[in-house]
Amino acid sequence: MVGRQRIFVRRRDGRIEVRLNDVGRSVAREAFGHVVAAERDPNHEWHVILNAPIDPSNDQDDPVATLNREHDTSTNAELAVMTLNDQFLNDAEAWAWLCTLQVALRSTAIANGLLSDEKLAACGPELLDYVRTLQAFLFELADCF
Amino acid sequence: MTLPLYDAGLPLRPAVCDTGVVGAVKPLQRTESDTEVITGDAVETRRPWNVVVWNDPVTPMSVVVVIFRKIFGYSNNKCTQLMMTVHHEGRCIVWSGERGRAQTYCVKLQVAGLQSTIEQEQ
Repeated sequence: MVGRQRIFVRRRDGRIEVRLNDVGRSVAREAFGHVVAAERDPNHEWHVILNAPIDPSNDQDDPVATLNREHDTSTNAELAVMTLNDQFLNDAEAWAWLCTLQVALRSTAIANGLLSDEKLAACGPELLDYVRTLQAFLFELADCF
Repeated sequence: MTLPLYDAGLPLRPAVCDTGVVGAVKPLQRTESDTEVITGDAVETRRPWNVVVWNDPVTPMSVVVVIFRKIFGYSNNKCTQLMMTVHHEGRCIVWSGERGRAQTYCVKLQVAGLQSTIEQEQ
């Protein structure tokens, strides 16, 4: 899926080239889709994770702050979905990809109880492969910034 | 009247604070306590708010560095130091200052997928 060459490459014109094949893009599509769905659906498994407390000492967070978080997370995820099949990303689009992939990675980890290195090492091969794939995407994309 | 005391040079954590000193607020006077400031007749106590980032086992280290650099504009070395503190100690204060800004930074970090909270300095 990943191949030997790099997945994301910063070109001389400033754009970031996406070298994911169809399988790689389907993994990204699934991750982005879950984040979009989780923001919209209160029953989604990740919805609570995306609405973590800002100030745990308060019973309720500032509604403006939570609204901003919801808006920004949705905007990033929707931008990532819209550019999913693009061969080149600009900085804003690449940042949206990075944020959304990271949200998906951490939500996957929390939803599956992967809260320690030991738990991560002990999880099933399919889940571990998915986590490692998202980590590989993030690792290479971060290298472009 | 409540004055914006944080930007008036109160002692914030020097390693993590990016608030500048604003000399335009005149009637402030330091007391012996680090956290008390006299404003006219009133004595107000303000403690800064910390933005805390928590460790997790899945986020690549380089991603944390990129997110810190993008959100706070810190140098690469400082971002790496903060990331290593998160990694080794389980949490790290990445910014301190006025509550509203702390909340905004916390939201930005959460939007970027990092586990982050705010807390008032003890």
